[in-house]
Amino acid sequence: MNPLAEPNKWERLLWPMLASALLLVLWHYAVLWSGTKVLPSPLQVERGMLELLYKNVLWQDIGSSLRRVAIGFGAATALGIPLGLILGWYPAANQIVNPVMQILRPISPIAWIPVAIILFGVGDNAAVFLIFLGAFFPIVVACVNGVSNVPLFYRRAGRNFGLMPAQLLTRVVFPAALPQIIIGLRMALGIAWLVVVAAEMVAVDSGLGYLVIDARNSGKRYDLVVAAMITIGVVGLALDSGFRRLEAIKSIRWGFGK
Amino acid sequence: MSRKKKVLLFGIGWVALISVLHGYLNVNWAAVLNDSLAPARRKITVAYIPVTCQLTCPVTDYISKFSDSGEIFLPRMFQGFPEIKEALISNKVQAAFIVAPLAIALVAQGVPIKVVYLGHRYGSAVVVRKDGPVSTIADLRGRTIAIPSRFSDERLLVFRAMKIWGIKPGEVKMVEMAPPDVSGALAAGAIDGFSMGEPFPSQAEMAGYGKVLFQAREYWPDYMSCILVVRQDLIDSRPDIVQLLVDGIARSGLWLDRGKPHREAAADFVGRYYFHQEPALLRWALTNPMDRVVYSPLAPRKGDFDMVRDLMIETGVLNKKIEFTEYTDTRFSDGAAIQAPWRYEAGIARAR
Repeated sequence: MNPLAEPNKWERLLWPMLASALLLVLWHYAVLWSGTKVLPSPLQVERGMLELLYKNVLWQDIGSSLRRVAIGFGAATALGIPLGLILGWYPAANQIVNPVMQILRPISPIAWIPVAIILFGVGDNAAVFLIFLGAFFPIVVACVNGVSNVPLFYRRAGRNFGLMPAQLLTRVVFPAALPQIIIGLRMALGIAWLVVVAAEMVAVDSGLGYLVIDARNSGKRYDLVVAAMITIGVVGLALDSGFRRLEAIKSIRWGFGK
Repeated sequence: MSRKKKVLLFGIGWVALISVLHGYLNVNWAAVLNDSLAPARRKITVAYIPVTCQLTCPVTDYISKFSDSGEIFLPRMFQGFPEIKEALISNKVQAAFIVAPLAIALVAQGVPIKVVYLGHRYGSAVVVRKDGPVSTIADLRGRTIAIPSRFSDERLLVFRAMKIWGIKPGEVKMVEMAPPDVSGALAAGAIDGFSMGEPFPSQAEMAGYGKVLFQAREYWPDYMSCILVVRQDLIDSRPDIVQLLVDGIARSGLWLDRGKPHREAAADFVGRYYFHQEPALLRWALTNPMDRVVYSPLAPRKGDFDMVRDLMIETGVLNKKIEFTEYTDTRFSDGAAIQAPWRYEAGIARAR
């Protein structure tokens, strides 16, 4: 295998499909061979998924999860980017805030669940709050790093052209930091999708996380549990590949050496 | 000493330390020892959760340790019904105390288990916030209450009360919660009420933020919720062990109903060694009044189960009319009918 080889277009589709098919076959025979009566085979899971589709719950749950992520992630972006830009712009301010942020950042949003329920009750707001927490810190940190990594001569050049500080921030520093910010946003979106599933397991009665718990509670229906898990994976993949499209935009692409 | 040696020594020391700690803190040696025995001599594992509906399980274990024949089974505590269900399906436990509708639903879904005995009668209550907006059952309209499982008698109990008060099924929102979580959720205002087995109603009552809206028996004469199920393969291969288990549970039930001193002793040792709850809380739940929970007679009765099954079909959690004989095996309760209460008094380390 040549590490620099560019796969053909048809190969880029074929091999992943083949790998997934192989995994399904392995799974199928593992279920047959072990004789398990609990874990479902791929066919049972497919039937479970169809059942969820017919009952019209699958699209609703996907919709609820996406809505929560959109609100929580949107709020984290709207607050996190300006804050990150400011902290990156004024290193002195960053030195003051940074220790607190580094303490809050490693606390898993799951650990916030009891506090979130007390603050927001059982429902959408608690889940959205948890997603916000999960996405906020990676975005801020990515922005701070992005801004402080902007080469000094960009700023000097901007100032020589007579830009005011606010203009310098929006027209030089922000575009220069954008590729790194986008990476931060993409990571944050991945975290938000992890958190939404966990948050929906406790606080709400819709969404894909709820679907897992609901299937678990309905007796021996592990086909539905696995169907919900696969849906979570597929939607997560779609979100990520959708976000990667952003990296192809001209004002960002330069940061990825393309 | 060279650095390489130091690192090696530190590594070995570290592995030794965490191994010892793991063995001391995490490993259940009784279970490991039991698993090393030949299958025919192995003790069975019985699953329970910390509610008084299942009190006979720890009581039997505790008292039988003082008897000549020793302990009958290995008890194992869980925190909710989904976990018990998974352990039961995958043969990690061979017998379990679960709610009756869950047992019926699992049998209907093809899980090979049989109901052999009841855990208790009465002892569930619907609790609401003391200063909250609910003071009658009619006020439950539009409120959220917690239930242990969609397959639980606690849920059916609420439906029975709602029916009498003319509340339609969709008008009360029910959420499934692990029993140990409900008191905190009620205190925090996350739910408006809950329908649970003791001691959680007592917990909310004692702490002052909850009040009992109604006891189970007010809307369901002869109420029962938790029952003992055993895996079919155990019944087939070792019926004598199942009989021993049911006898022990029956004797504990009779012992618990012998009077207040026994209830207080049970509250003490179960709270401290099994449920990890305040003995004062269990004492409240078991003696205030004495018939808040009752532990005899506990033989499964067709009429009770038929009613549960019909309520399940009516409320949409069961889709076929499964017969009493398909999910119960009454020969063990028949066999236990001649049993007498344990002869055991607290403080005398001997039981017969």
